[in-house]
Amino acid sequence: MRRRRAAETRAGYAFLSPWLVGFFLLTAGPMLASLYLAFTNYNLFNAPEWVGLDNFVRLFQDPNYIQAWKVTGTYVLLGTPLKLISALAVAMLLNNSRRGQGFYRSAFYAPSLIGASVSIAIVWKAMFIDNGIVDQVGQVLGLPAGGWVGDPSRTMPMLVLLTVWQFGAPMVIFLAGLKQVPTELYEAASVDGAGPVRKFVKITLPMLSPVLFFNLLLETIHAFQIFASAFIISSGTGGPARSTLFYTLYLYFRGFRDFQMGYASAMAWILVLVVGAISFVLFRTQNRWVHYSGEGK
Amino acid sequence: MKRPVLKAATVVAVAALGLAACSGGEADTSGAGVDDDTPVTIDFTWWGNDDRAERYNEALELFSEQYPNITVNGTFAAFPDYWTQRSTEAAGRNLPDVMQFDLSYLREFNQSGQLLDLQELLDDGTIDTSGFDPTLLEAGVLDGKTIGIPTSTNTLGMFYNPELLEQTGTEFPDAETYTFDEYNDFIADVAAAGEQTADGYGIYGAGDYTGTFWFFIQWLLQNGVTPFEEDGTLGFEEADVVEFLNLTADLREAGATYPVERGVALKPLGGFTANESASEMSWDNFLAGYVADSGTETIEITQIPSVEPGEKALFLKPSMLYSIGANTEAAAASATLVNFLLTDPEVGRIFGTSKGVPADADQRAAVETEEGSVDAKVIAYEEAVAEQVTETTPIPVKGFGTIEAKWLELGENLGYGTITPEQFAEEWFAEADLAIM
Repeated sequence: MRRRRAAETRAGYAFLSPWLVGFFLLTAGPMLASLYLAFTNYNLFNAPEWVGLDNFVRLFQDPNYIQAWKVTGTYVLLGTPLKLISALAVAMLLNNSRRGQGFYRSAFYAPSLIGASVSIAIVWKAMFIDNGIVDQVGQVLGLPAGGWVGDPSRTMPMLVLLTVWQFGAPMVIFLAGLKQVPTELYEAASVDGAGPVRKFVKITLPMLSPVLFFNLLLETIHAFQIFASAFIISSGTGGPARSTLFYTLYLYFRGFRDFQMGYASAMAWILVLVVGAISFVLFRTQNRWVHYSGEGK
Repeated sequence: MKRPVLKAATVVAVAALGLAACSGGEADTSGAGVDDDTPVTIDFTWWGNDDRAERYNEALELFSEQYPNITVNGTFAAFPDYWTQRSTEAAGRNLPDVMQFDLSYLREFNQSGQLLDLQELLDDGTIDTSGFDPTLLEAGVLDGKTIGIPTSTNTLGMFYNPELLEQTGTEFPDAETYTFDEYNDFIADVAAAGEQTADGYGIYGAGDYTGTFWFFIQWLLQNGVTPFEEDGTLGFEEADVVEFLNLTADLREAGATYPVERGVALKPLGGFTANESASEMSWDNFLAGYVADSGTETIEITQIPSVEPGEKALFLKPSMLYSIGANTEAAAASATLVNFLLTDPEVGRIFGTSKGVPADADQRAAVETEEGSVDAKVIAYEEAVAEQVTETTPIPVKGFGTIEAKWLELGENLGYGTITPEQFAEEWFAEADLAIM
């Protein structure tokens, strides 16, 4: 009996080994290395030099670092809720059976499949640029001309729109969640005379809350990691006037443009801690608003 | 640097150009380091635009005809991306065999022996620099090692678009004597004309030139300030930076310089290449690129403005160098390519002055100087300002690439009005203190 269990364990590890090797070599190893580098001066060319907490002290005196948090924070706070609301709204529209349903679902999902790609960011930039299609339509509607790309007050809305447009992934998860809501609940509510709004607030939202929680967590973490679209749209500068200086973009500049790998590593670890803390807080608030079916409370 | 020698060399070169345009063609393989015909593949990388890529492809085709056993994989990127790629490769000790290099990054990459010492290859004749000015070659020598060889030289010049001048009814100031103040008046005049392009964009005199670090260096030299000391420290203060930025303060306030919003939207082109801005200061070898990007054949090059009338304080700079990665496994083949690109007359003809005026005498001689052509204009310009080239090349300090990029970034913020010149100076110095350490 015992021998068999040992054999099973060995087999288990054997099957796991490709993942384990990848994890230790490609994830855990570099993470530990970057934790060490966060306390050093390292310019890629010379050996790292230990400087203790200097990098962290410097960060909070760096106007660009503060700006990077402002930009990223605005993006997360605006983009994530809007994206989830759009995803849920469209998921509810697509939940009802109607002709061509498969087509609509694919069509709405497609943007998020190609969303993170460089090509979409380029197309997006072309659309919003001076005299681009959005600018031309905007002028017809009486908006000021000049394009969105060069205007610091309009780059953030542009990037938020880009992420909202890519609501496909949370939408599919919402759809799956909506399918799980027992139709008897709605029928019973109809019998009791509840309208659509009441049904939504009292049945759909609570029944959907685990899915909502999942999507919220995932999309929040995702939003902190925005990089490619910001890089492309600002031509790799974080401009205009630092309005797209996202956290990861600034981290990249420090690491690969200024050769300050220690500084960049310190930034990376603060981001890990902050995203970790936000996830922790979200998990703690779960009890208040997330309802799992079968919970005997 | 011995200025008279270099000046004399330039004059000789210019004279030689009149005589020869016929030495191109036949291959000179003497001293080529690859004796056997073993096939070898080397990577070669450069920064630049499509125009330069076409020229390199043509040159590399010639190379493969003459050295069929050497396969060259050529790749290129825009200037900022180029250095990101190289630094990542350097960390992994995986640099390309042959690289186009810039003076401002030489020091960093040399620090841990990333670049091959080319002395041996120079000694055995694989790379033949007999047609080079010795003082220019010194630019590629650091800590006693020859880690880069200059391909060509350039200097700052002023470009203007005669068609836009005509349209706006303005006249360019007297190039010999105009000061920054007079140049500013010109910029204001063009904006005041209120003309528009066919697409309905306003026409401006120039962008805000204070946003470019090299112009600041040039201005310092005109003021008699040495920007970088021998020991790698800065020779100027925050007050100098503020004073320079304030040169265009009135123009910025009046909205008379090229709008930064439009400039950002146009990247990687600019107002000048979009034919919406009448003038731009830049390196003289940019003319070929400007003509190609803007589609305007008539762009002229003339002298830069100065602080005191006529005191230009220009300097010749190696516009770029070739270096070989220390990790190369094909040093001889790499050196053969470097030598070919540096000295083959046909390559000189292909590139003309687009990389600057060629450093090698045979290549200079091979540049075709048809009347009114781009190359003729650049060479005529360098001839005209030869007397004004009075300063040595400023020593690029460590971290030059970083402080130059920071200047550009802050310049954009200044254009948007999100910072003041004082904040600019303060932030830039904070960055420079760290980068130069």
